[in-house]
Formats: sequence, structure tokens, C-alpha cells
Amino acid sequence: MKIRAVASNTFKEAIRDRVLYLLLFFAVISLISSRILALLTVGDKIKIIMDVGLASISLFGVLMAILMGTGLVYKEIDKKTIYTLLSKPINRLQFLLGKFFGLMATLFIMLVFMSLIFIIIFLLYSGQITWKFFVSLGFVFLELCLITSVALLFSCFSTPILSSIFSLSFYVIGHLSWGLETLIKKMKPGITKFLTQAVYALLPDLENFNFKSEVVHNLAIPPKIFLFSFLYGIIYTFFILVLAMLVFRRRDFI
Amino acid sequence: MSKQKILEIKDLYKSFSSGFLGKKTKILKGISLEVNKGEIFGYLGPNGAGKTSTLKCILGLIFPDKGNIKVFGFDHLSIKAKQKIGFLPENPYFYDYLTSSEFLHFYSQLFQKQKTADIDALLKLVGLEENKDIQLRKFSKGMLQRLALAQTLLNDPELVLLDEPLGGLDPIGRKEIRDIILKLKEERKTVFLSSHILQDIEMICDRVAILVNGEVINQGRLEDLVSQEILFTEMTVSQINRKELENFGKTLTHYGNKSLIKIYDQNKVQEILQFINEKKGKVHSLVPRTQTLEDIFIGMVKQK
Amino acid sequence: MVVSCGLFMGLKLITDQIPRKKVPGASIIYIPSGKYLKYASLGYSSLFADLVYIWSIQYFSNHSVPERFQYLTHVFSIISELDPNYLDPYQVGALIAIYDAKDFDTAMEILEKGLEKNPEQWIFPWQAGHYAQMILKDFKLAKKYYKMAMEIQGSPPITKRLYSNAVYELGDYETAWKNWLEIYKNADDKRVKKIASNHLYRTKAAIDIQKIKQALYKYKNKFGQLPKKLGVLVSSGILDSIPQDLDGRDYVYNPETGKIKTAVIPWKR
Repeated sequence: MKIRAVASNTFKEAIRDRVLYLLLFFAVISLISSRILALLTVGDKIKIIMDVGLASISLFGVLMAILMGTGLVYKEIDKKTIYTLLSKPINRLQFLLGKFFGLMATLFIMLVFMSLIFIIIFLLYSGQITWKFFVSLGFVFLELCLITSVALLFSCFSTPILSSIFSLSFYVIGHLSWGLETLIKKMKPGITKFLTQAVYALLPDLENFNFKSEVVHNLAIPPKIFLFSFLYGIIYTFFILVLAMLVFRRRDFI
Repeated sequence: MSKQKILEIKDLYKSFSSGFLGKKTKILKGISLEVNKGEIFGYLGPNGAGKTSTLKCILGLIFPDKGNIKVFGFDHLSIKAKQKIGFLPENPYFYDYLTSSEFLHFYSQLFQKQKTADIDALLKLVGLEENKDIQLRKFSKGMLQRLALAQTLLNDPELVLLDEPLGGLDPIGRKEIRDIILKLKEERKTVFLSSHILQDIEMICDRVAILVNGEVINQGRLEDLVSQEILFTEMTVSQINRKELENFGKTLTHYGNKSLIKIYDQNKVQEILQFINEKKGKVHSLVPRTQTLEDIFIGMVKQK
Repeated sequence: MVVSCGLFMGLKLITDQIPRKKVPGASIIYIPSGKYLKYASLGYSSLFADLVYIWSIQYFSNHSVPERFQYLTHVFSIISELDPNYLDPYQVGALIAIYDAKDFDTAMEILEKGLEKNPEQWIFPWQAGHYAQMILKDFKLAKKYYKMAMEIQGSPPITKRLYSNAVYELGDYETAWKNWLEIYKNADDKRVKKIASNHLYRTKAAIDIQKIKQALYKYKNKFGQLPKKLGVLVSSGILDSIPQDLDGRDYVYNPETGKIKTAVIPWKR
């Protein structure tokens, strides 16, 4: 398939990109440092290791997604490799999707790698890995899908630096929006409240994918939230990709 | 030669807006041209005339404001059209991290249902078979240009669009490319060659269009545009007194005992030959100069 | 290059020696509330809780900052806001409050917050009761907390015993007797049964001695002096009978002082 051809090319590019290995290095460092931190605490050491581990995997995954996602389309335009590519019988949608899936495949591999290292460190401390851990990782991956699609969208019309800032803002807003929810509850009903609710519904809510606390404290997770969070992630990603396509469709490559 | 129209452009307009206030600059101001099957068509113009922009319109890399483009009778953006096109951009640049065979393999996957050329044979054709496993970041400019040509021919295209293919090549490279273009013509392919180097166009093109400032100011067969009339004759002679030579024409330079003389009046050519014979002088060269494309070109550009 | 390297390494060692008034990370004190930190943590609040907790351990063991305990509640409430289910900080915070800061109220506050956020954790009221009993010797408070702990499913059986003991210490012998009887009846092993029986003995003794004392008082009022023997109380009609201890022994009466005690020590039966 043509999408697969572009995807595997994007994957090759990402895997051979040195930035990726720098980030991976830092991720491994922070996973190892969880052991050191565990020494400083009084009481439950397993919790510290789990917290640092999940945070590292999540944070570095997001950084990889943003740093590589913002160059996805921009680099092709800037280096003009897109000229010969689009002169072949491939349409722009196939190109975008190929780029997206190529990066997702790379991020998946990275996530698996980081998780394996974490699991080894964790098991050395004779902790117990529950199924919740893997579910939480799955949702981290879903969050990465959404962030990548946002980075891809900005990559279609903006330079990597600006795109990174915008994508990072998306991430921050996504984790702050529940604060907006608290604010809305305190508001008096009326037009302002309605408008704020509309804005709130539109803004991303990345906390839907955050199951770190549940994993660390082994709390119950209502099964409904799996389905709804999953659908939310998929549909929002789809929405952003459509937006990216609209921007990219009639773009002139001067 | 059949008169099947491979490429038809009608009333192509394109302007770009730049700057914060969106000031519009007109790049293409109503271009119309036709390219027939099996010919080498030269698209000629100074830098900034809009040649590359025209090519980008044909390929769907930029979208015209107005106008119609048909390739093989199909809409230029259709897959059917793209399957038969090969494009060689100016200053080609490809993915650093791939080797040349990986790169060609990748592109060949984009021609899903078509049969593509054997990659090794293609690399051999452009002289890159020894470098097929070296990453492209290590390629020189000449090598990249050869690879660009290879990717152009991947799908055995019937229409080949070349944007300044001979720029930056050494003389041997230029001859090789010219030979490949002529070979394409032999294979009944159509070539659209965009360049600002007139000598190349003159050597191989059948028909040309001249683009100045976004408008096609002239198009037609090369012979029709360039008159065969002799403008002047240049002769290099020796052992003749300079002053005597000036009766026939204008002496340009002297070096040693040789003189270069330019004779405008064709009648005087026979006279000077007789004169030199009588005076026991020597004729080293005799070159009649006809009107060249450069002459027409400069004339037309000056008119604008 | 080598010289400059050696120089800066030497300088670092020297500057490390210079005493400076610094408490790293102390600016956390200026954060108004854990709620804001939770927003700022962008979904990593559990990790932040860990980091603040680890920092707080270092901070509160740093003796060069004498006024550090005024922020004890604040810091631990931040940790609680960030990760309410993180159990260690509540216990350690209370520990620091009691032993280092000698601030019992703060310790109780921290433990109560722990219970509020984690209602299924019996350890918090249990710990509170324990501190109340051991350090403050305040059995009223201890009773309150032990009761809370008792009512949580999963609390260890000793909680009920501690509760009953507190009830006894507060002088409510009737309730204490009832509780100890229950414990005795429900005990599955011999050790607990023995403990319960000892407590029952003690409680009965307390009830009996109280009764006898009241009778002695009445006698003294009536006759102007204490009787020579306890039997006199019966013959004079004040008491129907002289109660005996749980094992059937008589109580020991000292006619001079009017004091009554058990023939044996309850724990050495």
C-alpha cells in the first residue's frame, strides 16, 4: 500500500534520527534514578519506583512525539523532498497518513523498549506488575497518538520551533482542563457558563488517558471509562487529522 | 510524428501573496502552450520568469488561480496522469538517511499497480551502480543529479519534465544527460525541458516557448523562430596587412601575425578569399554565423 | 586547560566548605495551597507527592532551621492534596509532629486528614489513639480514636481491647465489663482469653471495691469510724453480702486506712 510505503520510510527516518536516541538515553537514566530516589524515602519504595517509571515513560514519550512530529511535514517541504514525492501517483492524504503511522510505529517501539527496561528494574525490587500497568501504558500510547496528530497538524504550516510550542501548549491545556471543570461547577448558570462549557468541551482533556494513580495505588477503574476514554482519543485524533488534511490539501509548495 | 497532444496548458494564471498584508505578486499571467507526442519541447526564459512555477502547476505542487492543464487528455491532478509522468527538479535533494537503492525502492512502491524498472539496471544507466549502498548524505551534487534522473525514469514515463537538468554539471555530465534525452526521443517519449541555458536548448529541442515575466512571448518550431540567414562571417587569416583587411570588414583582434575579421557583407567574402589567395596569405578558419537563439532571446527580453 | 580544570575543582571544594544559610527547596513553603501545585503538575501529581515527601524528610531532619516545624501542617497538606492515597506521609508526618515538634494537635490533624481521605485505613485513628494513650495519657481522646478504628473493617482485634482498656481507665466500669465479657466470649486463642479474664477480674474488682468503699463511707457517717472487719458491714445491715473477687477470694481490707485491694495482682493470677 502507498500509505505503508510512506510510513515505512518515515519509520526508517525516525529510527535513524539521533535525537531519538538522546531522548531514550535520558529516559533510561531517569528510570535508573528511580532506584536512587527509592533509597531516600521512608516507607514504601515500590511507589516511588512506579511513579518515576510511569512519569518517565509518559514524559519522554510526549517529548519524542512532539520533537519528531513537528518535523514530519516541515522537513519534507523545507528540504524539497516533497516535490518528487508528490509528483508520483500518490495523493496528499496518503502522504499525511503515511507520515502519521510511520511515527506512531516508531513511538510504539520506543514505548515497548522503555517499558521493558522499567519492568526489569521494577521486578528487581520484587514489585508486582498488574494488568492495570499495561492498560495505563496503552492509554499513554493513545495520548501519544493524539499529540502526534497535533504536532503533524502544526508541522503542515509552521516551523518546528513554533510547532513544538503549540503542541506543548496543547499538552499543558489538556492536563489543566479539569481545573476549568472545577471553575464551571462554581459558576452561576447563564450565558457565560454555557460558553465556558462549550470551550471546555472543545479543549482536549488528556486526563482521560491518565491512569497513573490507579496503577500506583491499585485503585479500582470503572470499566465504562475504558471504552469512553478510548473512543474519545480515537475520535479526537481523527478530528485533528482531518483538520491537518484540510490545511494541507491546497497548500502551495513554493 | 503523430500530433497527439501530450500536454496542454490554457490561460494559466497564478499569483502569490506575500508579506503580512498579502500583497499579490503575479507570477504567471495567462500561459498557453501545447506539447506534442515524441517531441523535445524547450521551455526557455530568464531566471524568475516563472518556468519552475509552470512546472509545479503541471505537477499539482501549486494550484493555479485560473486556467486549465491537461496531461494525456486527463486532468493534470489525476492519478492516471501522474502514472505516466517523470519529474526531475532543479537542485534535487533526497532523504539523507537512505541509500540510493532504498530510495528508489521506496519510490517504486508508490506506483502500486504499475510495473517499474529494475532498480539495478536504472542505477547502471545513470552510472551509480557502485554506490547503491552508500547513504545519500555522502553523495556529491553530481551524484544526486544522476539519482534524480534515475527516479524520473522509474515508471518508464511517457512524459518527462526536466527542470534545469544540465545546471551544475561538468561537460561530460552534460553530454551524458543530453544523450539520455535524445535516447528518450528515440523511444517515442515526450520531453519537456525547462532551462535558461540557450545552447542546450538549441542543440536538442524541436519546439520551444519563450517565457518572459510570466508570459509566453513566442512559441514554435526552432527553425521557424530562428532565421537561417547568415548574419556575418568570421575569418581568421595571417600574413596579410591589417590595413588592407579593413577594406572588407571589421578587424576584431590581432594576435601574433593572425587577425580575426568580421565580414557583414556576404559578397565581400568571395572577394576577400581571392585577395588572400593573391597575397599568398593563409586562411585559418571561416565561420558563417546565423542568428542564434541567444540573439532572438536577448532581443525579445530587451523589447519587454 | 588542565590548570583551569584543577582550579575550578579546587574552588568548588572550597566553596562547599563555606557555611551558608541555605535550605534547598524551601520555597515550597510559599506555595499557598496544594491545589495549585496539583494543577501545575499536569497529571504527574503522584510523582510530585513523592518528591515533596522525600524533600520534607530531609527538610524536617535539618536541625539548623529551628522554625521549620511551623510549616509541618502546610507541607503535609500539600502532599495530601497531590496524592491523597499516599499513606506513608500521614504516618511519618504525625511521627515528626509528636517526637520532633512535640506538637500533638498537628499530629492528630494529620492523622485525621489521612482517615478522611482514606476511610478504609484503620491505622490512622489507631495511631492517634495510641499516641493519645501513650504520650498524652489522655484516655478520653484515646477512647474516641480507638472506637473509630474499631469500626473500620479489618482493624486488628487488639483495637477492641485497647478501647475497652481506655473505657476502664475513664472509670466507666460497667461498659468496660460488658466489652471485656464480649472479648472473652469471642476469643479464639488461650492467650487472648487469659488477657480478657484478667481484665474482667480487674474490672470486677474495681466495681466491687467501689461498692465496698461506698458502704464504708456510709458506715463511717453512721458510726463515726471505720469498721474493724468487712463482715461488720453486713451485720450492720449496710451491705447484703461482701463481694468476692472473680476467683472467689476475699478482698484485703486495711481498717486503719480504709483501703481495699485485691488479694492478687490481676496479671499474676
